[in-house]
Amino acid sequence: MTVLLSARDVHKAFGGNIAVDGVSLDLHPDRITALIGPNGAGKTTLFNTFTGYERADSGSVTFDGHELIGLQPWRIARLGVVRTFQTPVGFPAMTVWENMQVAGAEHSVLRNMLSRRGKKEESKLSERANEILSDLGLEGILDTHVDELPAGERKLMELARQLMTQPRLLLLDEPAAGVNPSAIGLLANLIRSIHSSGIALIIIDHNLSFVLDVADYIHVLAEGKLIAEGSPDEIASSTLVKQVYLGVEE
Amino acid sequence: MSSPAFWVSVLTLMGVYAALTMVLNVESGWGGMWDLGVAGLFAVGAYTYTILTITGFDEVLISPGLPSWSGILVAMALTGVVAFLVGLPSLRARREYFLIITFAFAEVFRNLAINLGSLTNGTVGFNTLTRPLQSELGDLKINEYRNLLLGLTWVVVALIFVLTRRLSRSSYGRALRAMRDNEPAAVSLGIRVSRLRLQTFVFAGVLMGGIAPFYLGWLGIVQPAVFEPELTFTVWTALVLGGIGSRFGPVLGPVAFFFFIELVLEIEVPHNLRQLLGAVRPLAIGLLLVLLLRFRPEGLLSERKTFGARSRADMTIWGDLVASVGDFKTNVVNLKTNVVKLLRR
Repeated sequence: MTVLLSARDVHKAFGGNIAVDGVSLDLHPDRITALIGPNGAGKTTLFNTFTGYERADSGSVTFDGHELIGLQPWRIARLGVVRTFQTPVGFPAMTVWENMQVAGAEHSVLRNMLSRRGKKEESKLSERANEILSDLGLEGILDTHVDELPAGERKLMELARQLMTQPRLLLLDEPAAGVNPSAIGLLANLIRSIHSSGIALIIIDHNLSFVLDVADYIHVLAEGKLIAEGSPDEIASSTLVKQVYLGVEE
Repeated sequence: MSSPAFWVSVLTLMGVYAALTMVLNVESGWGGMWDLGVAGLFAVGAYTYTILTITGFDEVLISPGLPSWSGILVAMALTGVVAFLVGLPSLRARREYFLIITFAFAEVFRNLAINLGSLTNGTVGFNTLTRPLQSELGDLKINEYRNLLLGLTWVVVALIFVLTRRLSRSSYGRALRAMRDNEPAAVSLGIRVSRLRLQTFVFAGVLMGGIAPFYLGWLGIVQPAVFEPELTFTVWTALVLGGIGSRFGPVLGPVAFFFFIELVLEIEVPHNLRQLLGAVRPLAIGLLLVLLLRFRPEGLLSERKTFGARSRADMTIWGDLVASVGDFKTNVVNLKTNVVKLLRR
C-alpha cells in the first residue's frame, strides 16, 4: 500500500508540557484515517506540526517525498496539504462567494493590475465554487456574509472553501462539532464522497460514533503518545482504548 | 462667501488627501496594516522630488534640475525602495506594534530632514519649488497654474480610484481582506502573507511618492514642519469619516472633512474672536469624530455594502457610485435618527 504522509518520532513540547511524544504513523490515501483521543491528547498539535502551524521539536514528517518540518504553512498548503480549523471563523467580513474566491487564486499585485487573466481566472473559480457549494447543498447562501451563517453551515462553508484549493490531503479538525445531529449522517456521506473523489483525509473528532462510522482506520492518542491503531471494529473493542478514551474500567 | 480661487485651493487639497486616503485604505482598510507613517513616506517622496527638480539653490545642493515628470517618477521609485526597507523589519509586527514602528520611522524621516541640512536645507527647507508640469505646459501665471493643478490632482485621484477599485475586485484585494480578517485561515489557503504585506506596503509607498509632488505644487514650499504627525492623523480621520474599507469612502471622507473645516472657518465672528474660532477648529473636528465613532463607526460608507453581492456582479463604476449614494443616504438617515434619539433622551 502506498504511503502519502509519514510521521516518524514526532515530538513537540510547550515548556514542560509534552504535547506530542514520539508519534509515528503512516497515512494511506486509499482509506479515511481518523485521530481520536481525549482532550489534551495532542491531536490538534499533531495536525499543527503536519501543516506547519507548530514546528516539531524533533522527528520527521514527509509528504509525497517532501519533508514538511521546517516549511512555512503557506508552502505546505501549496503542496496540497490543507487543513480546516476547530472554530470555523472564516473571513467574516466577506460573503460566502468571496470566501470561495480567495482560495486557489493568484495574489500578485502586479498581475492583478496589469493582466487581463484575472477575469478568466475568476470565472473559472466561480464555476468550481458553484460546483462545490451545490455538492454541499450551500448554493443558496452565496451572498450571505460568513458571520451571519449558523455554526453548522459555517463549518460546511469552510470545508467547501478548503476544497477550492484542490488539496491532495485534507486534514479535518472536528468537522462534526457544531453540526446539527440530524445532519451528521449527511456529513459522513459528504466526507466519503470527498475521499472517493481522490482526496486523502485525516479526521479529528470527539464524536466517536461519527468517527467509527466514517473512518476506515483509526489512530488513538493519549497524553501525546500513540496508544492504539486499527480498524473501527478493532478500536471499538479495544480494552485499552475504552480505559483511556472512554474511562471504562473492565 | 470666499473667492473662486479659495475654493480652487480647497478642492485641490481635498484631491491630494483623497488620493492619500485611498492609498491608506488599501494598506490599512483592506490589508489591516495600521500605518501611522504616512507622513514619513510622503516626506521621502516630497524631498526626492524637490531635490531632483529644484533650480537656483546651488549654494545648498547640486540638483540635476530634472523636469518635473521625471522627478515624480524617481520620487515614486525611491519612496517604493524606502517603503521596502522600512517594511522589511516593521511588517513582522502586527496591529498596534506595527502602528508604533511606522510612526517612529515617520519621525525619523522628519528629523533626518531637519538634520541633513546639506541636502534638505534644514528647518527652512525650500520655497521656490519646481511645480509639477508647470514649465512643461507653458509659462503659466500662478492663478492659471492653480486651476491646472486642480485638474491634474483630480486626474491623479481618478487614476488611483480606478486602480484601487480594480485591485479591490481582484483576487489580490480579496486575499488582502482575508489576511486582515483571519491570517491563519488565509495561510491555510496558500497565501504567502509576509510577501503580500510587503508588496502592499511598497505599492502604497510608490503611490504616496507620486502624490507628494502635487501636494508641494499646492503648498509651494517644502520643510520638515509640513510632515508633522498631524498630516497622518488627518488622512486617518478622513478615512474613518468616509468609511474604512469602502471604495468611495476614501474620496468622500477628505471632501467632507475639509468642507466641514472650511465651514467652521466661514462662521462670521467679530474680529477679536477670529483667533478663538481658529482654536475651535480642532475641537469641532474632535466632536465630529466622536459623534461618528459613537453613532456610525463604519463611517459614511460601509465595506459590507461596498462588496457583498455587488462584488459578484459585473458592476460598472457608475453602478458602483449609484449604489454608494444609496448606502450614503441610508447611513446619514440612520446617523441622524440616532443623534436625535440621544438628544431626546
